Amino acid sequence: MVGDILQQAGFEVVGEAETGTQAVEKYKQLRPDLVTMDIVMPDMGGIEAVREITKFDPGAKVLMCSAMGQQALVVEAIQAGAKDFVVKPFQPSRVLEAVQRVLG
Amino acid sequence: MSLDPARYAELFRTESHEQLAAINRALLALEQGGEAAGPLAVIFRAVHTVKGMSASMGYTAVAAFAHEVESVLDTIRRGDQRPGADVMDVLFASADALEGGLETATESAGQSPAMAAALERLRALAGSRFAGRLSRGELPPESESEATTPMPAADPLGGPGVIVRVRQSAGALLPGVRAFLVVEKLRALGDVGAVWPPIEVLQTSEVPRSFAMRVSTLASAGEIEAAVRSAGDVEHVEVDLAARTRRESNVALEVAGRVEAAPAGGKVTRHVRMDLARLDTLMDLIGELVITRGRLLALTADYGKGPLDEAMQQAAKLIGDLQSEIMTSRMVPVWQVFDRFPRLVRDASRQLRKDVVFLVDGKDIELDRSLLDEVGEPVVHLLRNAVDHGIETPAERAAAGKPRAGRLVLSAARDRAAIVIRVSDDGRGIDRARVLERAKAAGLVGGSATELDDEDLLRCIAHPGFSTVDAVSDLSGRGVGLDAVQAKARMLGGSVTLKSVEGEGTAFTLRIPATLAIVRALLARCGPERYALPLTHVRETLEFGEHTVQRVRGSEVLVLRDEILPLLYLRDVVRQGGVGDAQREIVVIERGEKRTGLVVDELIGQQDVVVKQFDAARESLPLFSGATILADGAPALIMDLGSLFGGV
Repeated sequence: MVGDILQQAGFEVVGEAETGTQAVEKYKQLRPDLVTMDIVMPDMGGIEAVREITKFDPGAKVLMCSAMGQQALVVEAIQAGAKDFVVKPFQPSRVLEAVQRVLG
Repeated sequence: MSLDPARYAELFRTESHEQLAAINRALLALEQGGEAAGPLAVIFRAVHTVKGMSASMGYTAVAAFAHEVESVLDTIRRGDQRPGADVMDVLFASADALEGGLETATESAGQSPAMAAALERLRALAGSRFAGRLSRGELPPESESEATTPMPAADPLGGPGVIVRVRQSAGALLPGVRAFLVVEKLRALGDVGAVWPPIEVLQTSEVPRSFAMRVSTLASAGEIEAAVRSAGDVEHVEVDLAARTRRESNVALEVAGRVEAAPAGGKVTRHVRMDLARLDTLMDLIGELVITRGRLLALTADYGKGPLDEAMQQAAKLIGDLQSEIMTSRMVPVWQVFDRFPRLVRDASRQLRKDVVFLVDGKDIELDRSLLDEVGEPVVHLLRNAVDHGIETPAERAAAGKPRAGRLVLSAARDRAAIVIRVSDDGRGIDRARVLERAKAAGLVGGSATELDDEDLLRCIAHPGFSTVDAVSDLSGRGVGLDAVQAKARMLGGSVTLKSVEGEGTAFTLRIPATLAIVRALLARCGPERYALPLTHVRETLEFGEHTVQRVRGSEVLVLRDEILPLLYLRDVVRQGGVGDAQREIVVIERGEKRTGLVVDELIGQQDVVVKQFDAARESLPLFSGATILADGAPALIMDLGSLFGGV
């Protein structure tokens, strides 16, 4: 979903991960400019994945994807190193704004 | 003590004023029926915001009052009944009390009498209707009062550092997390010493809100703003460096770096609040400069083409640009005044038991700041008159075969150098026979008159003290106040016209120059004197000739495209005497639909003239609206062309 919005805006999606562990591995492999991360992920959670990725690359740019009502989790993700967040349901304009803020 | 109250008082006042306007608009929408949830949500949010803002400013009485209003609103919002007339009345009264409270909050900490009265009504309402469901009195305990927690006695943001105030945009999702992100972003620049409300409270907030923090950083105001904005959903940032420098400076620019986030585009408009008096001074200075420019241009013309002329032309152009920039910076949209009228019309029509649909058009038309405040008063007069005298009661309207609700339209439009403000209703129109009868009795028209045209009608009803109303209404008072409207319009260099059709309605049109200080005028010579004729009322100019001027029944008239217009000689108007030049020119002036030819000796050209008001002269010289200094340094009078059409 977020991937579609980004692709339509001209970004290239270099990889996708199903689980938190996979996300960390793919990050190390691909070194993308930006990661969009669901808060809730199978096996290793999204927040833990952010922590791992930031440990590996302190400059990593991770954008959290959250649902309403997940305030506490998003705050935790930011403390873990996430740079910004978007809230479901995703509005393309808001997603792209957030991406632009993160890529600075 | 809170966030340096004096410093923020003005900003607070402006912002709370905006919230109050939103409350009033939504209350009106709620009263008019239709869907209730939307307006209720708007009111609730606005009251909530006012509560939060007041609390953070330390205005606890206002915050506590807002809290009570909020409680009633919450009960209404939860209930399935729409608020009836009694509840609406209390809500309107509460909005007024809140407004009054906010006005005085900066001076007195206590509860205003209006607030006390409204509070009583709110509680009575709570007692009768929502018994047991409303909290009373005190602010609620910590847990649910994140937005209202008053500032503690000791300033939590005290100490050295930069104070950063942030307001989130209304549409922010998970605003608490966004606020947390703001703090995180600032941590990257330095040490965030304190946050108010406390970050634990802030980050769980479910409504967008304002918050402040103290940051120890060496970053510039611009860098701090950029960092705050990079957190997203930030509507407003203020960076106050005063605490960092520890200098109690007398900065003229009240707020450093007030930034308003643009919508998605990313273009940022920066606003600086400025003392109005300073703007006036700038205006005066540019006025003098424009006059000097004229003199310099006249002087350098003698030296022919060359570097001096070139430089002078460039300087002249720059002065022109500067002038238009300053003029533009003084322009404000009329809604700033118009926004309070729906409420006024609503109150008036309720009081008089009339049903009025009020429409406003042209809210974005811009007007010079100094004119805007002046314009409010005559428009209030006209609106009250329309509701009081123009629009009939629902029963009368039904009997006349009209819709029960009257239509009242306030519109603003730009017409060349003028702003045209019109108040029109579809009411009963003015009773000409009755006005004629009274006018004869008062000696305003000759005894033989049988009819009054719109022009005469206005002249009569605008005569001080003239009234066709026997009972004194406490709304518009005795007399209709039109003399005040006309006097104000003339003071602003404008005019009033009237169009009334019996049984169909009345329209008053106020025509005033868009800017006051400098007007574009036609310079005309009459004998040795020169006069400035403001273009607001000039339609066209033509040469005096046999084919244009004819004699009809002994008096000269102007024939203009099959139309016959009366002809006036400026020479006679200013009582100059003499015959004048053989070669003359005619200026066609207009007011409303009425036109007149004005014969002058010579037209010198168009020029921006700087209006110098002269006091007390209005009595003695009703023909002139001011004076100006011409390019050669000689003074000239500015004609009040509207006055040439008769009237008071």
